[in-house]
Amino acid sequence: MIFPFESLGSADREVGLVVAVLIGFAFGFVLERAGFGRSTKLAAQFYLNDMTVFKVMFGAIVTAMLGLVIADGLGLADFQVIAESAASTTYMWPMLIGGLLLGAGFIISGYCPGTSIVGAASGNLDALFTIVGVGLGSLLFSEFFPLIQGFYASGDQGQMFLYQLLDIPPALLAGGVAVMAVGCFVGAEVVEKIYTRKMSGAEPRPVPVAPRRLVFATFGFATLLGLALLTVPVGARPQVETEMCAACSMEKIDAEELARRMLDEPWKLLILDTRERSAYEEKRIPGSEHRALAELDSYGLAYSPGVKDLVLVAADGLGYAPPAAMKYPGRVLMLEGGFAAWKKFALEEPPALTGDASDEERKDFLFRTSVHQKMTGSKAAPPPPVKATNFKPPKKKRGGGCDG
Amino acid sequence: MNPEKFWNPYVAGVVLGLVLLTSFLVMGKGLGASGGVNRVAVCAVDVVASDHVEDNSYMARLKANGRPLLDSYFVFEILGVLLGGVVAAFSAGRLKGGVIRGPRIGVSSRLAFALAGGVLMGVAARLARGCTSGQALTGGALLSAGSWVFMLAVFAGGYALAYFMRRQWT
Repeated sequence: MIFPFESLGSADREVGLVVAVLIGFAFGFVLERAGFGRSTKLAAQFYLNDMTVFKVMFGAIVTAMLGLVIADGLGLADFQVIAESAASTTYMWPMLIGGLLLGAGFIISGYCPGTSIVGAASGNLDALFTIVGVGLGSLLFSEFFPLIQGFYASGDQGQMFLYQLLDIPPALLAGGVAVMAVGCFVGAEVVEKIYTRKMSGAEPRPVPVAPRRLVFATFGFATLLGLALLTVPVGARPQVETEMCAACSMEKIDAEELARRMLDEPWKLLILDTRERSAYEEKRIPGSEHRALAELDSYGLAYSPGVKDLVLVAADGLGYAPPAAMKYPGRVLMLEGGFAAWKKFALEEPPALTGDASDEERKDFLFRTSVHQKMTGSKAAPPPPVKATNFKPPKKKRGGGCDG
Repeated sequence: MNPEKFWNPYVAGVVLGLVLLTSFLVMGKGLGASGGVNRVAVCAVDVVASDHVEDNSYMARLKANGRPLLDSYFVFEILGVLLGGVVAAFSAGRLKGGVIRGPRIGVSSRLAFALAGGVLMGVAARLARGCTSGQALTGGALLSAGSWVFMLAVFAGGYALAYFMRRQWT
């Protein structure tokens, strides 16, 4: 993958922070120019006579989404990798309630947290009060965190994306959203006119239609381009092939093989657990060390002797190869199925054998039981004794004895 | 320049989208606001009562990586937002002190509402892991399910309360 630049998050952190200021600058500049430094303009969204908030926000969402789809189609970036790195985990209930409360705070204060910064930058005292409020509110949240912790973590869906739910490619869904957006924009223009007449009694000022048409046409073109690129076979995308195949060519090791090697030659393994720290603290593969994926770069893997085989452990398998890990001079292996697979293999008791198990199954069972015992310290039931299923009474010779 | 003259909303939307896209492509991150404000607030507490920050399980996480509290991508980003806002307002002739309010409300009531709404949003944004920037805009563009639920809820919450707030704005 070419984008994003991983190094800006770790190795070139200072450069990354400068980029952060630049991106923030552009963000603040555009918000101000859109009129978002003024609470009255923002609040008008909720009285339907000025739908600028809706238009700018939805327009930005569609633009960034289609842009990312096209970058993905051209092989410059991977939509899903970026989605997983930049979007937060979905916690359904706190997000729903948080949304409702934030909407309420929006109409009460006249700003949202981002626009309050821009409002204060334009010298508006009310916006400064809102920023202070946001700061106080987040401290208040921290103070009461122990009480609401349960609700805060409720409805955990992991990272959940709409294209996964619908099981369609992001490009297709993005196109659908773009079409829906244009429909909503046309509707918003009508609603705006109606409510402007209603509230001020005056005819709404005519707005030039040329920019609107140009933007809608661009969205249409970008949607078609995104869909067209979808039909290009993956093999024909040079960058995606080399980059993504860092992941597909990354050697894999399954839980059984890992357990075998941990028992036979633990000194040849360097097991790095890239899951959340809390998950690692709760349960981990014995001998593994915790390394956050984002900070992998700062551990100097590239300079280690590389004698051991590096085994990466994620929650349930990594979708891509972390570049920092690929710099490791030795073999890099990825635990197939991640910790979930390990848990299933080593931490759950193997299913009991039935009496008619083959020798192969029997050996496998013994191995799994020994792994299970070593990893959990619990004694498992011994395997059932070999039932003499093959026993056949020796044939009696006919003709002898006294039965004839 | 006419101080009331703003960019065409669709054009502003596209430009904002390009900024967001740049952030995705260059940094692998989206835009944010409330997270940075939270860090600044926690840092202020840290100056006066450092123990308190370490005792609180939610605030202590910000210090877990050992870096200074303000050494964060989103703190630098909101610094940029502030600078960008100043430059944009100044160059458009809109940089002047004042209180923006509707025709039927006094200055002190307006400021009280601004503060109260801010407090509510501060709580809400922590609960939802982001605000209109970090959750609705960023997650929305990435088609995250939770972000779309959040975004629809923001509009629902705003419209539900708009009638009761009409004296402030109209």
